[in-house]
Amino acid sequence: MSEPPDSVRAGRSRAGRWLREPLLHFLVAGLALFGIYRWINPAAFEAPATNRIVITPDDLRQMSLVWLAQGRPPPTPEQMANLVEAKVREEVLYREALALGLDQDDTIVKRRMAQKMDFLADDLAALAEPTPDELRTWFNANRDRFAQAPRASFRHLYFSPDRRHAQAAEAATQALDRLRTGHAGADGLAGLGDPFMFQGYYPDRSFDLVAKDFGAKFARALFAQTPGAWSGPIESGFGWHLVWIDELTPARIPPFDEVEPEVRRAWISDRRDEMKRVAYQAMRQRYRVVLPDAPAPEMKFPAPAGNVVAPEMKAPAPQMKLPALGGL
Amino acid sequence: MKSTTTLKSLVIPLALAAAGTAWAQSPNPLREAYFGETHQHTSWSFDAFIFGNTKTTPADSYKYAKGEAIPHPMGYPIKITTPLDWMGVTDHSEYVGVVQMANDPTSALAKTALGKKLVVHGPQDIQRIYLLLGNSMIDGKPFKELMQPDIAGTVWKRNNEMADAANEPGKFTAFCAYEWTSTPDNRNMHRNVFFKDCAKVPQMPFSSLESTKPTDLWAWMDKQRQAGMELVAISHNANLSDGHMFPIDVDESGRPIDAAWAASRDRNERLTEIKQIKGQSETHPLLSPNDEFANYEILNYLLGFPAGRWPTIPGSYVRQGLKDGITMQQARGFNPYKTGIVGGSDSHNTATPYRQTNFFGGHALNDGDIKERMSGHVFAGMDVRFENPAGLTGLWAEENTRASLFDAMWRKETFGTSGVRIKLRFFGGWQYTPAMLSGSEWVKTAYADGVPMGADLPPAKGKAPSFVVWAVKDPTSGNLDRIQIVKGWSQSGQSFEKVYDVVWAGERKRDPQTGKVPPIGSTVDIPNATYTNTIGSVELKTVWTDPDFDPSLDAFYYARVLEIPTPRWTTIQAKELGIAPPEVVPATVQERAWSSPIWFTPTGEARKAAKASPKVADLLKKGAVKLNDAQLRALLVGKSTWSQNNVTGDRFVVAWNANGQRQIKYVNPKVPQPALTGDVERNAYLGLSSAYEIKGGKVSVNIGGAPFETTIYKLGDKHYAARSNEFGYANYEMTPVPAQLGTEVQFNMHAK
Repeated sequence: MSEPPDSVRAGRSRAGRWLREPLLHFLVAGLALFGIYRWINPAAFEAPATNRIVITPDDLRQMSLVWLAQGRPPPTPEQMANLVEAKVREEVLYREALALGLDQDDTIVKRRMAQKMDFLADDLAALAEPTPDELRTWFNANRDRFAQAPRASFRHLYFSPDRRHAQAAEAATQALDRLRTGHAGADGLAGLGDPFMFQGYYPDRSFDLVAKDFGAKFARALFAQTPGAWSGPIESGFGWHLVWIDELTPARIPPFDEVEPEVRRAWISDRRDEMKRVAYQAMRQRYRVVLPDAPAPEMKFPAPAGNVVAPEMKAPAPQMKLPALGGL
Repeated sequence: MKSTTTLKSLVIPLALAAAGTAWAQSPNPLREAYFGETHQHTSWSFDAFIFGNTKTTPADSYKYAKGEAIPHPMGYPIKITTPLDWMGVTDHSEYVGVVQMANDPTSALAKTALGKKLVVHGPQDIQRIYLLLGNSMIDGKPFKELMQPDIAGTVWKRNNEMADAANEPGKFTAFCAYEWTSTPDNRNMHRNVFFKDCAKVPQMPFSSLESTKPTDLWAWMDKQRQAGMELVAISHNANLSDGHMFPIDVDESGRPIDAAWAASRDRNERLTEIKQIKGQSETHPLLSPNDEFANYEILNYLLGFPAGRWPTIPGSYVRQGLKDGITMQQARGFNPYKTGIVGGSDSHNTATPYRQTNFFGGHALNDGDIKERMSGHVFAGMDVRFENPAGLTGLWAEENTRASLFDAMWRKETFGTSGVRIKLRFFGGWQYTPAMLSGSEWVKTAYADGVPMGADLPPAKGKAPSFVVWAVKDPTSGNLDRIQIVKGWSQSGQSFEKVYDVVWAGERKRDPQTGKVPPIGSTVDIPNATYTNTIGSVELKTVWTDPDFDPSLDAFYYARVLEIPTPRWTTIQAKELGIAPPEVVPATVQERAWSSPIWFTPTGEARKAAKASPKVADLLKKGAVKLNDAQLRALLVGKSTWSQNNVTGDRFVVAWNANGQRQIKYVNPKVPQPALTGDVERNAYLGLSSAYEIKGGKVSVNIGGAPFETTIYKLGDKHYAARSNEFGYANYEMTPVPAQLGTEVQFNMHAK
């Protein structure tokens, strides 16, 4: 196949750029959300429900399918009738509950529906896949987020407060003097420190791993030392240490190829948050919020940014019927 | 340069010789402690959503576990104090799938007739489901179509995809897991279920909508295992189970506890959570009156705070469960409660606070604000000041992978902590010697010559078993106070416990009267909420031999490590607010760690040597007569009766007041008291009384919310008594007034 002419390529790339334009995505997503919202909430456009419950052949097929999927023999006519009756019961209770207004002012229902909207945004976000170029560009703009902590290979001598009590730090200082003046003693370094519970040598440890094993204070001090010499004493949660760093790899930002899967995940996660935010803003703009003249005295939470006073934010604790449903 | 080389050559042998652990990054045959989370909820849990955690997902939870800051449901950033090595997000399975319904146009479901219907009726379907869920759970008649794999499977699948995305073998392990949330009658029967391999999980989890009976959960787990999936259940919050987590006669649905029940539980439910945000489940001062450290993060609460009820204490704590387990082994031949120990969170915030210094609550809007928390906000009946940081689980595993960590759970080589990273090793064997600890290879020797925590002692090879116990402090927390070994044993249907101080910091001497090591003291400055590590140890280790071992009796042993006192979160936050620390909770805590037990089971031959009382059935065969109400009243009411516990030899007197109250007097503190008798020593000393009732041929008393009944039998001129929790043994005998009560001096007046 021959190369397309430049004009076509230019047009394509323009179209491509336009197709990848976040604003367009948000417009499409917003429209889709709005459309689906209208679609799943048709109550306003339809006649009120009659007392007819229609079971279609598809419904029956689905019921028996579910039955079979549970590893049981095909349902007998009687079992089938029970399944239908269960479905009818559910529909009847549901419609009666609606008629009684049980869906109104139900925090559970409200929150759950709000969460469904979030999931919807998630799904829409998941439909968008970044192109390699797009991902690379985004990585370049967000490089700092992928920075890797410094790493060190180090050995240490331990001075135990269990053995030396308050003198552990002093003993470490004296040992350092001896190391520096070359008087390490006949038995080498072994005689200088105390037995340590874990390792004497820690190869290629990130800052976080050192902090996990010794505490953050020690990690900070360790990474401030100069490699290739005994230094210290440094205090850890276990006592005092003299350290020798063989090798210190400073913090670095890895090249794109090394972290591409991670970048992809972050891109999708960002896209998802952004999608939710923009979709919410679009929806939010269609509402006007009326505030009370003075905030109620029992308001415990500050009003969020914007002009929303959210009575829903009040902790919905004791009156909840939750425990009947398990939970906690 | 030359000197560097010399130093290196000197140091490397030293490094290699360091005590028993190899590089953490390559598999270590002697195993490393990996700390992680077995119990975490996100906004996907129905109740978390209600509490106001509406945004964050399992993916966020894994981010938090790895050290990234995420938003608290109230918006402020929260960051873990020390990142975890592994975690399984355990959202409630009950609502799995409901969320997703009708919202995924790409799903296979959306293309079916039902699916289309669901999409069209979206919001109402959610309402329908909630109404139906509520109704069906009350009726115990769940609707099958709500549990169909296509629907419920989707969120489960999404959860598992997030675990897969977070899983980094060697660095961080993410498990596929969920919580089975059975709460019959407000009793917490919850279990977390962990899968070894996310590639081998069922289409959807088994929820309490399908069944609220643990036996059904275990049966389902057996089925999964037959289909090639490996999984394990972890019970939690025994303390909120209202006495139903460790039943002894029938389970909560009335099924007798028999060998099959025990085997099914042991096969599936290998671990139990000993501490979490809603309190500890190790033991309670009423069950362990001689354990001065039992009074720790007690949370008496039933989910939903039902009116007129209070949680029953017996049956709600792990130590008693372990004791009942070995007693059932002795009396009935099976032990349903050979459980390993883990810690957990149960935070509903997607993220968990593990430390007193970082406590941001666990229930979103209900305890997320410092003033709300410290005001003693009553959240569904619970004063949130009784909450505490989450527990943590340590797993001894070769490497940080799903397979290695799961195997550690399976063999119960696990320990729980109160949230700190105390490392605790515990081994049992017959030939350990104190000298072994001076070598650098002691861990290797310990594995070679015995068994690690969670296992059974090999058959007896010596007079008494020895235990190697070793603990190192969390480098960011308090020093260690002591290590204790908690022993439980059983005889003739009775169970007993004793807490031995085996190694401790400083120069303290055992109390000559009680043999206990005195308290370490405290460096806590309560107004400033600070402490110093000027007391306590970094590392404690010893080899301990059981001085009271009897090879004819079933026993278990577990280790408990205590830190020095440090400020509780309420004290720290009181300082922050400039108020006095609340008095409803202690100002300081002693953080701790608990190992899984090691069990000893006597051989059939050895068992014969154990002294046992006659069983009620034997007495009846010999012609004994069970006393009826009138005979019981004639024998007891308005009288003081002397009795002897024939298992321990302890003698005591009971005053049966005509007003329905009784007092027990002369309880010998030197003699171990059988389980579930309450704090008889203290009550005897103080002269406190409790109610009794004679009814239905039984003398009934109430201990910690549970009824205990005594039946009395007359054989010849002797009266024998049997307690309802002693497995059919008649362990008590009525006696004349004894001449002496002491056991220290043998003195016979007539021989003088």
